[in-house]
Amino acid sequence: MLRITGGKVYDPANGIDGVVKDLCIDDQGLFVPAVEGGRTIDATGMIVFPGGVDVHTHVAGGAINFARAMTPEDHRRTQAFIRTKSRRSGLGGMAPTTFATGYLYAGMGWTTVNEAAVPVLSARHTHEELADIPIVDKASLTLMANNEILLDQLEKGEFERAKQVLAWYLWSAKSYGIKAVNPGGVAAWKYGHDAKQLTSPIDGYSKLTPGVIVTHLARICDELGLPHPVHLHCNNLGAPGNISTTIDTLKHLEGHRAHIAHSQYHAYGGDGWDTMCSETAQLAEYFNAHPSITTDAGAVLFGDTVTITADGPWQHLLYKLTGRKWGNLDVENETGCGIVPYTYRPSNLVNAVQWAAGLELLLLIKNPWQVFLSTDHPNGGCFWRYPEIIELLMRADVRKESLLKLPDGIKGKITLPEIDREYSLYEVAISMSAGPARALGLFQKGNLGLGCDGDVVIYEEDENVRKMFGHPRYVIKGGEIVLEDGEIREAPSGREFIVKPPCDPGIDDFMRPLFEDCYTMSFENYPVEMERIHNPRMQDCIEVPR
Amino acid sequence: MQKSKFLPRGRKDRTMVLVDIRETKSAKAADIFLQVRPGKDFELITILRALIKDRQVSDQAIAETGLTREVIDDLIRRMKGAKFGCVFFGMGLSMTRGKHMNSAALLTLAAEMNAFTKFVAMPMRGHGNVTGADVIMRWQTGYPFGISFSRGYPRYNPGEFSTVDVLVRGDCDAAFIIGADPGATMPQPAIDHLKRIPTIVLDPHVTHTSKLSRVHITTAPQGIAAPGTAYRMDELPMPLKPALKSPYPSDEEVVRRINEAIAKKPFWLPDGSQPQMLNAQV
Amino acid sequence: MELQVINNATCTFCGCVCDDIQLHHDDVRIHKANKACVLGTAWFLNHTAEKKYPDALIDGREATLDEAIEAAANFLYEADMPLVYGMSNTTCEAQKECVALADQLGGLLDSHTSL
Repeated sequence: MLRITGGKVYDPANGIDGVVKDLCIDDQGLFVPAVEGGRTIDATGMIVFPGGVDVHTHVAGGAINFARAMTPEDHRRTQAFIRTKSRRSGLGGMAPTTFATGYLYAGMGWTTVNEAAVPVLSARHTHEELADIPIVDKASLTLMANNEILLDQLEKGEFERAKQVLAWYLWSAKSYGIKAVNPGGVAAWKYGHDAKQLTSPIDGYSKLTPGVIVTHLARICDELGLPHPVHLHCNNLGAPGNISTTIDTLKHLEGHRAHIAHSQYHAYGGDGWDTMCSETAQLAEYFNAHPSITTDAGAVLFGDTVTITADGPWQHLLYKLTGRKWGNLDVENETGCGIVPYTYRPSNLVNAVQWAAGLELLLLIKNPWQVFLSTDHPNGGCFWRYPEIIELLMRADVRKESLLKLPDGIKGKITLPEIDREYSLYEVAISMSAGPARALGLFQKGNLGLGCDGDVVIYEEDENVRKMFGHPRYVIKGGEIVLEDGEIREAPSGREFIVKPPCDPGIDDFMRPLFEDCYTMSFENYPVEMERIHNPRMQDCIEVPR
Repeated sequence: MQKSKFLPRGRKDRTMVLVDIRETKSAKAADIFLQVRPGKDFELITILRALIKDRQVSDQAIAETGLTREVIDDLIRRMKGAKFGCVFFGMGLSMTRGKHMNSAALLTLAAEMNAFTKFVAMPMRGHGNVTGADVIMRWQTGYPFGISFSRGYPRYNPGEFSTVDVLVRGDCDAAFIIGADPGATMPQPAIDHLKRIPTIVLDPHVTHTSKLSRVHITTAPQGIAAPGTAYRMDELPMPLKPALKSPYPSDEEVVRRINEAIAKKPFWLPDGSQPQMLNAQV
Repeated sequence: MELQVINNATCTFCGCVCDDIQLHHDDVRIHKANKACVLGTAWFLNHTAEKKYPDALIDGREATLDEAIEAAANFLYEADMPLVYGMSNTTCEAQKECVALADQLGGLLDSHTSL
């Protein structure tokens, strides 16, 4: 039991904007009107936020684990968590170890994370890693936009069948929702090709286009009532001039809900690397006119990182551009992945445009409930650098100073210098917690209301925004004080959110022969057993109004 | 063999080329067998890397590999003509002269082949679930093997922290051996050191290593009488379905109990003696 | 006697880890391993549920499991630089315990990969 008294509370889910208010958390870790006994935290003069929620990150599974193998040179220079009697050791950096991932997220007040890209074949592995990420609660999304069996149904126009196939895969993976990466493009990459046009047939198909995949995945997620809509990584990531592809993709949603992942990578104009510029104004305008679509920034921070994405063809291009290490994974007929270490430099015009574009989206999309803090960790930068982004959002003067580091050639390529908006604390609380929680359909998260999960972060007010958000005074997870005065106190294991969509039991008989034809493992051994999920929490499906 | 959208006839649509220093039984399963001269793997790979980019290679250089220009040209034509190529490589490459340089050259060849068609490479892993050990060590420590926790956090240095080197130098003063029989496979100086120090062995059988150990504990064989998970060499985890009930405990249970017994003793790094986190390692 | 059948069992002998093996067993030994290769068949048929070995040995003498666990914990705890090695022929669940062991001991951790 815990009481937090006297703090200035920011709870956007309940419209509370800096009101001094007491919070009580019971033994179940939920907010209640009052508690008897237990510890009291005197938060007088401090700022109280709901625990952070990361809507899009890559922290567990085959791809990030491959990235760990590829970057020992980073592990040996980065943060090291020293073993204590009760707490495991770990390493931070570009691709932190599982234990360190939990410590680093909780260390800056984040209490829920969404692993955004899991092939079904790797789901068993991913759940094992998620179980080893302490403190935070977790969800994971299943990669679906390049799955051959599903694509074959869409090619044949069997939409009802496609819906059942998708539900079967989702439940086999024991995941929380659907991720679409470069629809059709990763499938084409198996033979060295890509899919760049929304309306051109994908290699190996006569009718199926990326646009058809987008429309139907969005529709299926709505019809199944998944709490999180389709989580979409558009085609043509990172390419100059891709804004037309992105807008075209958004139009293919045909009014369905969607979350657009890391928009920054999809908002470029120009027709080559020399002419590449930011087209965030155009994209922001589309979001401003379509309130049912959400996005996360995928902001870029200058410095070293490692890029990992299911977008295999893009990673091959990045390997050719940089000449650095390249890892490629092919996950049978489901999806694939590429890994390339990368350094974003302010002196590089393309990187400078990317840096500005991420911030522009966060500032130009008017409704903070539509655009969330993310770096597409580790692609644009490491998640533990979020406080740097918060500072850039809250302080126009810090942005101006940073702009001075960019090359002269940046003039006319970005709109950031013309933007004066500064985030309020209330808006930061939406962007880092209440907004992503709502977009994920996790109504018990990012919300300090009665009955919600007792996840709280308490900051000491400080002019230095980066320091304030980087070093919370207290972090409370499910009513337990996990961090106090900069020290991790407890590292309890978190929970995992899972959805069971409605599914026709006959689908097994349909899937079996198709599966046995092309998969390399047994049909019976493929679905992840429920017993393998550490602390599962079932989240109900919802009614999505049309 | 599995079929696929683009290879509807399964094995018939695939071409297998075997490269080895001698004609083994696997050659019968292959479509083409290439006998390379022992110790010339690196040279052959380098020649392939040059020729795929149409660089000049002398007849003498080719002759040294034991293959002919005709055969190599044919191989390159097939590689470039493939829709999806995969190189599988094993210890014959990675543990002979050149060692990791051979593997690096081969991985570079696979990467460079992507200028022409889709190409990948995959190491052939043996020894049961060694892939699982790699995968788990990576997510828990950041490194795949050769790790020291002596500073309270993981550090990696093959050659310094790898077992044969540690044992031959006599660095460690106790050894815990599980799922391996170094007493049967390692160089004699390493075995001699295992005899000198307290060695603890967990194994379903009393092994060579058990015989030189201070403590042997019999455990249930994985996948036969112990449940759990094992990783395939392409890093996909498979559930185990034990058929038998062993009279012995599983490895998992025994190591957990050892961990619990040690946890009851005072922790070797006293509380407060170390910072919680180092911002950067030195 | 009627043999029991386990379908889609997983073979952990080599890195292929085939998971389509059909095992026929009588609780004590596996008599048939359909679909397994020569190596896999030998792997399955050579292990039995018989009690062929003592539970544990300490300095070559038979000991109970509890005694052996206590002795192992003591040896490892007393050492300045203990080594945890192997982990090929064991489950992921045991491997995780081994990493935890090396982490707790402040020791060395290595697998067959380094050979």
